[in-house]
Amino acid sequence: MSSSLRDANLPSDEEDDDDFEEEEEEGHREKRQKRDRIEEDDEDEEDEEDAPRSSSKRDKSRGKSNGANEDDEIEDLEEDDEDDDEEDEDDDEDDDGPRRGHTRRIHNPFIDTMAEVDEDDEDDEDAEDDQEIGDFLAPREEEEILRGAAIDDRYHRELDRRNQVNLAQDAETIAASYRDRYGKQQKHRLGDGSGVTPKRLLLPSVNDPSIWGVKCKPGKEKEAVFAIMKKLQDMKGTRNALNIISVLERGQSMQGFLYVEARRQADVLNACTNIPNVYARSGMILVPVDEMPDLLRVQKRAEITPGTFVRFKRGKYQGDLAQVENVENSGQILRVRAVPRIDYSAKDDSSTIQDASGKRKRLASTIKPPQRLFSEAEAKKYHARDLSPPSYSGGRVSYTYMGDVYEDGYLVKDVRITALQTENVNPKLEEVTRFANSGDGNESLDLQALSQSLKASTDKYAPYQPGDMVEVYAGEQAGMVGKVIRVRADIVSMNVQEGPLRGKDIDVPFKGLRKKFKAGDHVKVMGGSRYRDEVGMVVKIIEDRVTFLSDLSMDEITVFSRDLREASDSGGMGAATGKYDLWDLVQLNATTVACVIKIDRESLKVLDQDGVTRTLLPSQIAAKLPSRRKDAVATDRNGLEILIEDTVKEIAGGENRSGVIQHLHRGYAFIHSKELQGETGGIFVARTNNLATMIAKGGRVASSGPDLSKMPEMSKKPTGNNMPPPVIIRQGGRDRILGQTVHVRQGPYKGLLGIVKDATDTTARVELHSKNKTITLDKTKLGFKEGATGRILSYAEFVQPKKGFGGTPSYSGSGSSTGGSPWSGSRTPAGASGWSGSRTPAGAHGASGGRTPAWAGGNDGGRTPAWASGSKTPAYNDGSRTSDPYRDGSRTSNPYKDGSRTSDPYRGDNDGSRTSYGQTVGSGGRTPAWNPGNRTPYHGPGESAPRESGSAWDSGSKTPARSLTSINDQWNDSYNNNSSTTARTPAAYNATSPEFSGGYSAATPGASGLSAPTPGGLNAPTPAPVSAPTPRANVGPWDAPTPGGPVSAATPGASGGGGGRGGYYDAPTPQTGGYSTAKTPGATWGNDDDDDAPGYN
Amino acid sequence: MFFLYDLERTITLHPFYFGPHMREYLIHKLLTDVEGTCTGRYYIICVLDAYNISMGKILPGSGLAEFTISYRAVVWRPFKGETVDGVVTAVSKLGFFANVGPLPVFVSTHLIPADVKFDPTSNPPQFSDNEGQVIEKGAHVRLKLVGTRSDVGKMSAIGSIKEDYLGCL
Repeated sequence: MSSSLRDANLPSDEEDDDDFEEEEEEGHREKRQKRDRIEEDDEDEEDEEDAPRSSSKRDKSRGKSNGANEDDEIEDLEEDDEDDDEEDEDDDEDDDGPRRGHTRRIHNPFIDTMAEVDEDDEDDEDAEDDQEIGDFLAPREEEEILRGAAIDDRYHRELDRRNQVNLAQDAETIAASYRDRYGKQQKHRLGDGSGVTPKRLLLPSVNDPSIWGVKCKPGKEKEAVFAIMKKLQDMKGTRNALNIISVLERGQSMQGFLYVEARRQADVLNACTNIPNVYARSGMILVPVDEMPDLLRVQKRAEITPGTFVRFKRGKYQGDLAQVENVENSGQILRVRAVPRIDYSAKDDSSTIQDASGKRKRLASTIKPPQRLFSEAEAKKYHARDLSPPSYSGGRVSYTYMGDVYEDGYLVKDVRITALQTENVNPKLEEVTRFANSGDGNESLDLQALSQSLKASTDKYAPYQPGDMVEVYAGEQAGMVGKVIRVRADIVSMNVQEGPLRGKDIDVPFKGLRKKFKAGDHVKVMGGSRYRDEVGMVVKIIEDRVTFLSDLSMDEITVFSRDLREASDSGGMGAATGKYDLWDLVQLNATTVACVIKIDRESLKVLDQDGVTRTLLPSQIAAKLPSRRKDAVATDRNGLEILIEDTVKEIAGGENRSGVIQHLHRGYAFIHSKELQGETGGIFVARTNNLATMIAKGGRVASSGPDLSKMPEMSKKPTGNNMPPPVIIRQGGRDRILGQTVHVRQGPYKGLLGIVKDATDTTARVELHSKNKTITLDKTKLGFKEGATGRILSYAEFVQPKKGFGGTPSYSGSGSSTGGSPWSGSRTPAGASGWSGSRTPAGAHGASGGRTPAWAGGNDGGRTPAWASGSKTPAYNDGSRTSDPYRDGSRTSNPYKDGSRTSDPYRGDNDGSRTSYGQTVGSGGRTPAWNPGNRTPYHGPGESAPRESGSAWDSGSKTPARSLTSINDQWNDSYNNNSSTTARTPAAYNATSPEFSGGYSAATPGASGLSAPTPGGLNAPTPAPVSAPTPRANVGPWDAPTPGGPVSAATPGASGGGGGRGGYYDAPTPQTGGYSTAKTPGATWGNDDDDDAPGYN
Repeated sequence: MFFLYDLERTITLHPFYFGPHMREYLIHKLLTDVEGTCTGRYYIICVLDAYNISMGKILPGSGLAEFTISYRAVVWRPFKGETVDGVVTAVSKLGFFANVGPLPVFVSTHLIPADVKFDPTSNPPQFSDNEGQVIEKGAHVRLKLVGTRSDVGKMSAIGSIKEDYLGCL
C-alpha cells in the first residue's frame, strides 16, 4: 500500500535478519517491485491515492494524541472514506484467486494486510497511538518472515512461473487484465472528482453542528477563547458541562468575533455567559452552512525567502522597496536591504531637540530625504564620530552610522515582519534596478527573485483572460497547453489544445501557469512593467521571459510573459498620450518644430529642428502640425524639387546619411533612415539645401495620367498669380450705388435683383427683391442698370464714367485738391479737354461710350477675354489709377506709387510670361504683342487686321489683343481706320471718334516724341500708363516737365521711343530686364508707350 | 505566396472624361492606382485583366461618375513560416533588415544562429560566422518569416535564419 511506510520498514527488517532471510526478502522485494511497476504503469492513481492515505493515517494517529484538534474530524471522515476504498480494493484482489490472496497475506504484510491489521486494531483495542501499531507490526512481520522461510523454495518457483506467464502474455492482455481488475475502482474514483476533491464530501451539511458568531471586544478574541476553554475544563463532568464542540477565533480577518460550534444556540449562550469581553447577549450570528468552510480557510501567507521584495509599512522608509536578505527568528524578523534615506546635513542638535519635545520629532521626520546609497565621505563630513570604521566581510564593506548598518551603500536592518508589507508589493523595475548592482558592480538583476515577488502579488488586472494561450509548467499537468476559457478567483479553466487531452477542459491554478507565446506573435505589454503599452513582435522566449521587438522603437524588450497579451495584428500604437503619433511633426514654440521619435506612457521624445533630442510632456507641445502636408515642397542642393517621401541623401555638413523624408518644414527636412536605429529611432534632421534627391517618390516625372476626378483644364486655371481685380477707390461723399436697383452677376444669387441698402468700399448690402433677405456682396459682382439705355453696367462703369466726364463732384474735388495747378488741370481729363478725357481711360470711355476695349471689356460682363481673365488688365488698373493722380494732384508721386502697385500685375504677368499690358489689353495675355500693338499702328497701316500684320512683327505680340478687345467692334474699326495715323495710340483713341481722329492724332505725334520722357520708362510700367497718358494727351510740352521725363529719357527705351520702331524694340528690353523676363519687351514698351497707351485704354 | 485574386475597385470619373475613351481611362487609372500597392494583407503585384467594368453611376451633387471595376490580379501575401529570399538593406547590432520584394523584414540577433556574430569593426557592419558566411548590406539571404505585421497600407515582418538551410545564399 503505502510505499513510504513499506520503505521505512524494510531497513529494520534487514537489520534483524540473517542471510537466509535476506534472500527471502530479496524475493519479496522483487515481486513487490514488479507489482509496483505494473501498478504504476497501469494506473498512476493508485499511488496518488496511497500517499494521502498514509499521511492521513499518520495524521489520524497524531490527531488522536492531540485530542481536541478540529482538523481531526475532517481527517477522520476522510479516513473512513479511504478505508472503504481500500476494502474494495482488497476485495477485488481477493477475488483474483485464493492462492494469490494467500500468498499476499503471507508475503506482503506491509502492503495489503496492514490496512486490515489497522482496522482490526481499531476494533480490538482503542487504538491509542502510533507506536503501538509500529510495535505490533514489527514482531508480526518477523514472525511471518520466519514462517515464510520454510516455504522459501516455493516462492522462488512461483516467481519464476509468474515471470514466465507474464512474458508469455503480451502487454495488451496484461493491460486488459489489470483494467479488469482495477477498472471499477478507477471509475469510482473519477466519480468522486479525482483525488484532489474528496474533501468536498467533508463539507459541512445542515446535519452537522452549527457555528455561531459571538461578538466580543476586538483584540480580546484569544483571551475569550482561552477563558471558554478553561470554563469547559472546569465544568467538565459536572452537571453544567458545556455542551459545545469547539471555539475558535479569526483574529486577523474577523476582529471582534469568536465562533462557537454547538448543536444548540442555548449551549453557546451557556458557554459564553460570565466570560469577560464576550457579548453573547447582544446577538449571535449563525454562520450559514456554506460559509463555514470559508471561516476555517487558512490564508496561506506568502512564503518569504531571501531575495523577495517587501515594502516598509511605516516610518521614514514607508513605501520604500526593500529586499529580504535573511529570514530570522522563525520568520518573525526579516533582515532587509533598502536604499537609505539619510539627511547627512541634519544637525546634531536636532536629535536633542527631538528628545526634548516629541512634537519636534514629528516635524523633523516629515521631510523625507531622497533615496541615495550611503556615502562614507558625506557621513564623515558631517558626523565623523557617529561613523564606525569600515569593516570588511565577504568582500563587502559595511559601516555603522548613527546606529544603522550600511553595507555596500545599502541600509541593512532587522525588521519585524509586521512592519513590512509582504503581499502586493509590485516592485517596479526602476526600484528593483536600484538593487541590481551587487557587490561586484556588475549589473546582475535577479529576475528570478523579481518574478518571485511579482508572482506573489495579485495585480489589479486579471493576469489571465479568456482567449489567452497558457501553458502549465509545474504540477501534475505540466506541459499542457491550452486556451483560457474562464477565470475564477485563481483558477483557470483551460481548453487543452495539444496532446492526448486535446479538446478537454481542465482547471489549473494560477500557480504553475504561464502564458504561452510563440516567436513572431504580436504582443502588447499590459501592466506591471514600465514598458506598458509597448507593442511588438516576439523574437525569443526563455521560460517565462519573453523578448520582443518593439514596433515603435525597434528596441528589444524583455518582460515576463504574464505582462503580455497578444495584440491585434495591426495598428500597434498604444500610447496613452494618444494625441500624438510616432513621427508626428509638432510645434514646440513659434520657431521650433520637432518630430516625435518615441512615445512613452507619459512623455514624448522629440527631435527638434536643430537636431536636439528632448523629452517632453504632451502638455509642453504647442500643437500638432497637420500631418504630412503633401504639398510641402523644398528644393535640394541642386535646386531640384523634393517632396515628402522622397529618398534623399545628405551631401554636405552631415554624415552622408540617407533616408526618406517624413516632414518638410521651412528649410528643414525630417528624414527617417532605416540604417540609423540609434536613440532617435532613425530620424534625423537636415537642412534641405544639404540634401540631394536620390529617388523621387514613385518617379514623379512619369507620374500617372490625368486625374480623372478633375477636369484637366481646371488645374491650368490661373489662381493666385494673376493680378487682383482692380480696386475701385470710391471717392468721398455718398456712395452712388446706394439705393440703386442692381442685379447680381455672380455667385449663388446670380440673376437676382435687389436694392443696395448699404455699401462699403468694396461690398454692398443688397436687399433682394425675390427673397426677403439682405446679403452682402462684392460690389464688382453687381450689375447696375443704366437709367437711359437700360444697359447693365458694372460697378466700375457705373461709378467711374462720371468722373471721366468731370461732372462728378468727386472729380472736381480731386481737381481742387491738386490745387488747381495747370498741371493738374491739364491732367485731369475732365478739367482739360476732350483729349484728356480721351486719355484717361474713363474719360475715353466716356467718349466712346465706354467701349474702349480694355475698360469696357474689363467691366463689361467679362466680354472681353481680358476681363474674363480676371479683369486685371493693367489698362484697367490704369484707369483706376488715374483716379489717384487726380485726387492727389501730385502726379509724380502718384505715378510712382502706382507703379509700385502695378508691380503686382507685372509679376503676375511674368509668371504668365505675359506682360501686364499684354494681358490687359490683349485680354488674352498674348499681348506682349499688344504693347507693340501700340505700334500696331504700324501694322495698322498695312492692313486693318492687326493680327496678321502682327505676324510680321512678332506672332506673339500681335494684337490679337486688339481683336479680342475688339469686342467693341466699333473700336476696332475705328482703330483700323486709324491705321492711317502713324501716331500710335492717340490715333487709336481718336479712332474711337473718327471725326476727331485726324486732328487729334496729328496732335499726338508729339506724344510719341514725348513718350520718351514719360515716367513710364522709369517707373514700373504702370506709372507710365497712368501719368503718361495724361500729359501727352493733354499737351506735348507738358509731358516734358513730368518728373518722369528726365529719368525716362535716360533710359534707352526712352531714346528708342524717340527713335522709332526699331528703337522701340531695343529700348524696351533694358527696362524689361529690370522688370522681369525678357518676353515682355513689348510690355515694357507698353509702358513707355503708355503715353500712347491711353489709346488702348 | 502568390495568388490570383479577384478584386474590385471603385473609381470615380470626372464628366470631362466621359466619352469613347472612358474605358481606357478607367483601366489606366486602375493600373496606376492599384499595381504595386499593399492592402495591409498582401501586395498587389500585377493586374491581369479588368474583366468587368460596371455601368457608371452619376454621383448626385458632383456630377462625377462612379464605376466598379472587377479585376483579376496577381497578389503576393507573405505568410508566417514561409521561407523567402531577400536582400539585406541594413545591418545593426540588433539584427539586420532585408527586403523581400516589397516587404521589409527584420531579423533579430535572437533569430540568427549563435555562431553568426555581429562584427561592428568591419565596414560596412556585418554578421559573420568567420567561415565565409557574411551578411552585410546587399547580401542575399534566405530566411523564414516568423511573424508578419500589417498596418494600413504597409506590412512588415520578422524573419529568422536560425534554422537549417537558411542564411546567406
